[in-house]
Amino acid sequence: MATQQLEAGAAGHGAEPRGKRTEEGEATYLVAIAEALWEEMERDERVFLLGEDIGVYGGAFKVTEGFIERFGPERVMDTPICEETIVGMAIGAAMEGFRPVAEFQYADFMSSGFDEIVTAAARYHYRSGVPLPIVLRGPSGGGVRASAFHSTNPEAWFAHQPGLKVICPAFPSDAKGLLKAAIRDDNPCVFLEHKWIYRRVKEVVPDDPDFLVPIGVADVKRAGEDCTIVAYGAMVHKALEAAENLAGRGISVEVVDLRTVYPLDVDTVLRSVEKTSRALVVYESNRFLGVGAEVAAALAERAFEHLDAPVMRLAPPHTPVPFSPPLEDAYLPQVEDIEKAVEQLSAW
Amino acid sequence: MATKTSARSRRKGEGPVPGLSREQLHEILYLLKLCRYFDERMEALYRQGRLPGAIYSGRGQEGTHVGAVYALRKEDSLFPTHRDLSAQFVKGVDLKRVMAQFWGRIDGYTRGRDGNSHMGDWYGARTFTVISHLPIAYPIACGAALAYKRRGEDRVAMAICGDGATSNGRWHEALNVSAIHKLPVVWVVNNNQYAYSTPNRLEFPVATIAERAAAYGMPGVRVDGTDVLEVYRAAREAVDRARAGEGPTLIESVSLRWRGHAGHDPAKYVPRELLEEYMTRRDPVRRFEDHLRTNGLIEDDEVKAIEERIEREFDEGYRFAQASPFPVPEEVTKGVFTDDGYWASDPSREGGTG
Repeated sequence: MATQQLEAGAAGHGAEPRGKRTEEGEATYLVAIAEALWEEMERDERVFLLGEDIGVYGGAFKVTEGFIERFGPERVMDTPICEETIVGMAIGAAMEGFRPVAEFQYADFMSSGFDEIVTAAARYHYRSGVPLPIVLRGPSGGGVRASAFHSTNPEAWFAHQPGLKVICPAFPSDAKGLLKAAIRDDNPCVFLEHKWIYRRVKEVVPDDPDFLVPIGVADVKRAGEDCTIVAYGAMVHKALEAAENLAGRGISVEVVDLRTVYPLDVDTVLRSVEKTSRALVVYESNRFLGVGAEVAAALAERAFEHLDAPVMRLAPPHTPVPFSPPLEDAYLPQVEDIEKAVEQLSAW
Repeated sequence: MATKTSARSRRKGEGPVPGLSREQLHEILYLLKLCRYFDERMEALYRQGRLPGAIYSGRGQEGTHVGAVYALRKEDSLFPTHRDLSAQFVKGVDLKRVMAQFWGRIDGYTRGRDGNSHMGDWYGARTFTVISHLPIAYPIACGAALAYKRRGEDRVAMAICGDGATSNGRWHEALNVSAIHKLPVVWVVNNNQYAYSTPNRLEFPVATIAERAAAYGMPGVRVDGTDVLEVYRAAREAVDRARAGEGPTLIESVSLRWRGHAGHDPAKYVPRELLEEYMTRRDPVRRFEDHLRTNGLIEDDEVKAIEERIEREFDEGYRFAQASPFPVPEEVTKGVFTDDGYWASDPSREGGTG
């Protein structure tokens, strides 16, 4: 699928990102994220951004384009390349009453700040009672031919560490509402923006400055009767495309978008599977011990009597993300793979 | 010990105790003796099998802890390590709650969620809850200092780590960023000559840690960590600089860790002669007490009163800890996030500034 690039419109250089919407009022996922940041910075002066090249340059993906002109270099703080210190500064500033949002140029580079994230930020409140209202955001995910160091899906790393909320939205409205909720949350949130979605998906996004999407609540994106697909991030869009194709072949698929990986909304998944009796989990973190493994285990424990077929998983193999197009396409679950898996499940 | 700062030479004409009243000198002696006494008694309890978990003795380094932290105000923040419980005492943590912390009780600063010196009192003494990974708090101190600078407050963050932690990348990141933004922070390196068992010569190729400050564009000073007043003078100067908006300072305070890394380590890697020298001629507590006595700044009965006060406080703390309840198992999952409100009722939050 070719990347759909929207015109910048009137935005940039201090104008709010809402100006980057289409004439019909649609915002891309990227613009919706920029709107969330902008609105929260307008609303609460304790909110500030820090990260690499987010100021004058506007960020590697241009999410913060125009922000420095409006909010100044103190609230749009360019840092050296020092991920541990970016996270550490966010923690320290949060302890002193700020609400920092740290940008990682790619979610892959969160591993360069890993210790401050999982050892310091995640375990701090449990041990001290001091709230850490910080958001760590960055572009994750594959499918854009960016190979092993610019395509990682680190959500399973962070979901496995108690003390972090891990958010993986698939749609512009959810991205905006969840990011605003994360900024207002008193706990460390890892907010993963799937870069394959950034400019591909657009929709009309709510204007209400208090529009929030609750963290930890899944959403049924398509209702169906025969099979449930559980997914998040880019895989939601693959699942929806597969569901549309399968409908033409008489199979009615329900698509549950987790939206948040931790806390995991198992109840919404259970309700769906109680209805459909079949479940396919599609996810982009590695199959082995990945997010979908937890969903499958939860279904095995809690939905056994409702299942007419084994819970299936579709997820990348246990390799780094490869570059060459045939390799990356084989690595990532594709629409056809999803259709085939649902047909297998339906045959039970 | 030779120092590297030019400020040192400016102070040559000053007396031994600039700007400190007799009461303050007595308070410093009290703190030194408290840290020593607590360390010795807790080690004895540990060896008797009466204390669960681990202990990380700071004995021999009291001059660094007391001298550096005595230069801070109450509203300043301190980012210590597990070795620096003495520094937390100086900053004002409550000995009773510290004792409850060591015995895993609900009145401990972490409510039993962590043990021993892995604690802090953010809402009271303004100390960071210690994390083992070092120097993990260095970047965090940058963030606190950034907050003070952003709000135009004349507060200071002080972070302590050992010589061992200076080999870690974060140490360099944090110094670099603090200097770029002239953050109001004081970096204290407690050079006790060993990173666990690894001596200085296998930790860094330069002669001193202090000279590394030049590479980051900040002043660096090396002081004798067994001379509490020398440490205090350097810390006071660094704190004043930070408060005045002139940016960070690196202080290397040299002493020797008398005991092993933790209670289980006999520290046989430390040469006997070196240890003997530090435990006799360079004992920071005795040095300061001798100094006060020699200069007629304290009387015998005053020393005795200090010692009796410390013994009384320790015994009160011990009894408080033993009487404090254990946390209940049903609460093991509480407090991971703020959402369940578990920590909202914690006594240390009352009147907090967080």
